[in-house]
Amino acid sequence: MQNKILAWRRGAALTTVSALALGLASSALAQELRVAFPASSEPANLDYHVDPYTPTMLMNSFMTDPLVVRAPDGSFVPGLAASWEISDDATEVTMALKEGVTFQDGTPFNAEAVLANFERILAPETGSALLAQEVGPLASMEAVDDLTVKFVYDEAWVTFLDMASKAPMWSPTAFNASTPQDFDKELIGTGPFKLVEWVQNDYILMETWDGYGGWNSVSETGGPAQVDGVRLQFIAEDAVLGSVVASGESDIAYQLPALAVEQYLESDDAELLSIGQAGVGLQMIFNVRNPPLSDKRLRQAILYSRNMDLANQILYNGLYGEADGPLNNIHPCFWEGASEMYQQDLDKAVALLEEAGWVEGPGALRVAQGVEGVEDGTRLELGWSVLHHAEIGEVVQAQLLEIGIGISVEQVPGPIQLERVNARDFDIMFERLRSADPKILDDMWNPAYDQPGGWAWTGYDNPELTALLEVVAQNPDWDTRCQAAKDAQKIIMEEALMVPTLSQPSYFAVSNKVEGFKLGAQGTHFFLHDVRFVE
Amino acid sequence: MGRYILGRILQMIPVLLLVSLIVFGIMRVLPGDPALLMLQGAEGGVTTPERLEALRERMGLNDPVVVQYWTFLTGALTGDLGESVRFREPVLDMVLDRLGSTIELALAGLVISVLVGVPLGMIAAMRRGGWIDAFTMTFSYLGASMPVFFLGLILIYVFAFGMGLFPSAGGTGWRSLVLPGVTLGLINAGLIARLMRSSMLEVLGEDYMRTGRAKGVPPGLLLRRHGIKNALIPVVTILGLQFGNMLAGTVVTETVFSRPGIGRMIVTAILAKDYPLIQGAVLFLSIIYVTANLLVDIAYAWLDPRIRYGD
Repeated sequence: MQNKILAWRRGAALTTVSALALGLASSALAQELRVAFPASSEPANLDYHVDPYTPTMLMNSFMTDPLVVRAPDGSFVPGLAASWEISDDATEVTMALKEGVTFQDGTPFNAEAVLANFERILAPETGSALLAQEVGPLASMEAVDDLTVKFVYDEAWVTFLDMASKAPMWSPTAFNASTPQDFDKELIGTGPFKLVEWVQNDYILMETWDGYGGWNSVSETGGPAQVDGVRLQFIAEDAVLGSVVASGESDIAYQLPALAVEQYLESDDAELLSIGQAGVGLQMIFNVRNPPLSDKRLRQAILYSRNMDLANQILYNGLYGEADGPLNNIHPCFWEGASEMYQQDLDKAVALLEEAGWVEGPGALRVAQGVEGVEDGTRLELGWSVLHHAEIGEVVQAQLLEIGIGISVEQVPGPIQLERVNARDFDIMFERLRSADPKILDDMWNPAYDQPGGWAWTGYDNPELTALLEVVAQNPDWDTRCQAAKDAQKIIMEEALMVPTLSQPSYFAVSNKVEGFKLGAQGTHFFLHDVRFVE
Repeated sequence: MGRYILGRILQMIPVLLLVSLIVFGIMRVLPGDPALLMLQGAEGGVTTPERLEALRERMGLNDPVVVQYWTFLTGALTGDLGESVRFREPVLDMVLDRLGSTIELALAGLVISVLVGVPLGMIAAMRRGGWIDAFTMTFSYLGASMPVFFLGLILIYVFAFGMGLFPSAGGTGWRSLVLPGVTLGLINAGLIARLMRSSMLEVLGEDYMRTGRAKGVPPGLLLRRHGIKNALIPVVTILGLQFGNMLAGTVVTETVFSRPGIGRMIVTAILAKDYPLIQGAVLFLSIIYVTANLLVDIAYAWLDPRIRYGD
């Protein structure tokens, strides 16, 4: 009996020790800022030199600073570069770097370090999925002196500052001692936080770097961060992500799901922040290569049939943003005429359908009668494929059905979407790019990119539109580019090449226990440099 | 016994070959170009046909399918499951990194399902027709019909958000294991309770139990020595299969509780069409599953002396 008791005690002690060991196994910091991220935003590689995703760039910004920073007002302000000069033809950029900057491992930040970073981005072995292309057709780069670098392009490269605001600067000593595959677990930058560990599918832990000099102009404190560290926790379940700040498990939640927003509207414990994401809205692209969507009248009829304000009220209590054209309404180059062009008008829609040969059929859907390329009697049914936000398609489906247009809404994973796009086998397809720069219009509508891997999916080719897009992509003058972007949007809308729907804002819940949280200019960015716990 | 085990191990080979062939085949039939996905992402930027072609060549996607399968198979035999397309890391390393967390969760679920299901089934059998019996039956129906994600969310709302006892997300520390383990365990405990109840009822009516009672063996001793051990045989049989269910269940549980693990990794890999990662991870899980079943078969012999494999 005594032996049994002893054995039981031994077992219990072992269990207790094991439990304690498990409990203590996790790294934890005294005053740790906990930020919840949707799991879908977790990168495959934590280095934006390699990985193409916007959240990667955001996470890198906690650990290092870029050369220039896109400030909350959308302007470019100094980061690690004190100033810069761009030639009139936008082929040369000269940057003066800040003095006294060091990386977290003590390596000095200077012109050589900048060149080493750009060489790494462009090196084939790095396998940069996006940033290398954003760097563009660089002809040469040189260190003019220890704190001055010069970039030279063969042709105008008008998005240089946008790229420079994204490209993280890492310690050459650190990346030269590692590989592109491993370096993302050992990132060494100049930022306020040092990477401690990244447990994939779980969290990223960073500790505050005492040597930080506040080199990012957005930082108001001008020195090290005021929390001990930051834990980015990846949450896979929307319902959980929506409640982690309300329950006190996290201090900040990024990209709250729309359904969770309401619980923070009247909250005394947390603040709800929202910001639009400049770029393209939740846009649906027509494939105009084949009948029946090659007929502009049918496309216009679809646009006249929908009412997106109503959809916004029904689905999101009006919380989503407007996206009335190819660029959304908060984009600096949005063409305002788009808002008036296709107000819901069912009479006009019906007239256009009749004119195009779509007559009332025996059922709820119209049928073809003399439509070119379509057999008589064919019902008017189109596919509407999305990656997410299928509910918007369902509301539009009900609205279009009122005048006899049928759409079947299908939510597909990314690979299926790309497969169909590559085969040009779709009717109406979701397509979204996000950037405050109008260059995304060129990416999506210039037929030069109508090829596998390109983003010009619609199949529309119009020299007048292409000429405008080339101005958008290459002209060094911002106002000229923006005007060309507006003119291009007018053509896209007149030709009814896409269905504008709504724009998804970014929602943040921020606990009242913290202050100093700052949103970036776009919904995809924010700053933690000045965050502190309220006493 | 030794011959039996050897035979079973040999039987595993065609099973695993078939699994590898099916996984390899399905991933090739499904649409989506992994090289394009790798370059472009779901909403990435512009890429060029030249880069796309170079990447396809590097990934071996231009090779005939048979060559690709042979490369995968010969690599697997030497422990090389390839490199993840998306993560650019060796598949074996990625699987091993997450294996501990998944096994930990599956075992926690299995232990909880046994700890809850076996006593509940036993008591229900001994109190047949009473309220405990009725409760057990209702509990087992609920367990069988309730989706894992639903129970998981209920537990999160009550014990994480409501009472603050356990974290709602993450995979660090024993506290993060409690809610997902209970979720998985309770879902499966119902089945075990039902099985234990019917098995126990059968054993209680056996001649040797009646003889024991007639000879004056104390009821508790009789139950421990002869009742439970014999009633456990069908339960142990099902545990092997249940372990497979547990592994499958971790896919959803790991997602609801945001735990790192192989299940979540496979879901991510499927969405990204990460061929090597899916193939390697599924093959690895298959090995675990087949091995678990082998162990269950061996456990038979220990539980029931009448079973003599290979003799």
